[in-house]
Amino acid sequence: MIRSLAFGQYIHKDSVVHKLDPRIKLCYLLLTSILIFFITSPYKAALFSLFVASSAALAKIEFQIIIKNLRPFFFIFTFIMSMYAIFSPEQFALGLIAIWRFFVLVVLSLIFTFTTTISSITASIENLLRPLKIFGIHSRNAAVMTAVTLRFIPVMFLSLEKLREAMLARLANLRKTKNIRLMMLAMLEKMFKSAHNLSCAMQARLYNEDAESSKTFSLSKSDYISIFVILVVISIVYY
Amino acid sequence: MIEARNLYFRYEGEFVLKNINLEVKEGSFTAIIGHNGSGKSTLAKHLNALLLPTKGIVLVDGIDTRKDEASARKKVGFVFQNFEDQLVYSTVAEDVSFGPENLEMGAVQIAKTVNRTLTKLGITSLAERNVNALSYGQKQMVALAGVLAMNPKYIVFDEPATMLDIKNRRNIMNIINELNKKHGVAVILVTNSFDDLNYADNIVALKDGCIVFSGNSKKLTKTILKRAGLND
Repeated sequence: MIRSLAFGQYIHKDSVVHKLDPRIKLCYLLLTSILIFFITSPYKAALFSLFVASSAALAKIEFQIIIKNLRPFFFIFTFIMSMYAIFSPEQFALGLIAIWRFFVLVVLSLIFTFTTTISSITASIENLLRPLKIFGIHSRNAAVMTAVTLRFIPVMFLSLEKLREAMLARLANLRKTKNIRLMMLAMLEKMFKSAHNLSCAMQARLYNEDAESSKTFSLSKSDYISIFVILVVISIVYY
Repeated sequence: MIEARNLYFRYEGEFVLKNINLEVKEGSFTAIIGHNGSGKSTLAKHLNALLLPTKGIVLVDGIDTRKDEASARKKVGFVFQNFEDQLVYSTVAEDVSFGPENLEMGAVQIAKTVNRTLTKLGITSLAERNVNALSYGQKQMVALAGVLAMNPKYIVFDEPATMLDIKNRRNIMNIINELNKKHGVAVILVTNSFDDLNYADNIVALKDGCIVFSGNSKKLTKTILKRAGLND
């Protein structure tokens, strides 16, 4: 199951969303992530869900892929719902809204990472944070850190899958807390080692925090249309 | 030329490299062999200034690695054993552009460099692929492309074929050999395979952090290999 996850991975497709300026997409992600916390009515939630579903369809992301990537979160959803059901059943509707928000946040992040390459994310963060240079903050550091984190999400899942298989091959019972703890510790150790190797490799390739990304951005017609659409969505949801 | 003079390196209170004297000439092919834990990778990392000597000196074309790490690294590329951990960005073309970006090349020049490098290695078809979705052999080629794009004069390969099957192993070794013979890039190959020694002009055998042999393959006898802990 873990092997089929694509969370945090860019998937190359010829779609309108893929072609949007990554800076705009990043701003949309931040804006919409904040916006969902203003949504309390089911009507507005349904409307916003329609917007998210249309964005996913425009990005040519298959429904199955979204479900596959959401599967690991189902446990959290169930947990939240059970907590509401046990401790405050009268606020069950609020629990549903909380889960919906979580669900939408994950799908929005999926759309963003599926349609934007890591270097584009890096370049857009770098571009947007550039004014901070006057405070001595190197925007490239923040940008590369984000890029590396995103690059390693699928690697982490793959490591976990390999460890799980290795433990199962030696007849480990993965329902035992002790074995889960061992698996997580081994994975963390592996990830720290990978992080060390990567930092060495970056040093060897002359990592330069003052360098600028080779990507150049310019807004196209579809970017302006998307700005209009997002403004309409914001005004409908907010007012 | 890369020179190591009276090089010592201490790690966790123990000397893992002792009195290393080594010369790597421009355009040469040097193989470093030795048993596991003999200090091969530690020595290799000194050549690219990833590690700095505790005692002694490493000079890259006259540049002291302790004084100017960046200039030394510009000249010496490094292809790691764990090439999977070497890739920074998500797609092949982007990852290859990481080094040229750090060298502060312009966007047009970076695009040209990436294209030229991918063509040189015959992997242009992989340009837009996600690095996580590549095979081991392909990842190794991308890791090599990332280093080649920086146009180094010397390249250190730390056991580049360890994780590869026979076909990919042969392929990568042919490419390394071609880089050396055709393009004049000096190669420093850290290896465990005796087959790889046939490519080398100079062989350095290490044992417990000391050089036990340095010379060409004709002089490398079974007795020396035994002394290096490589032959029973």
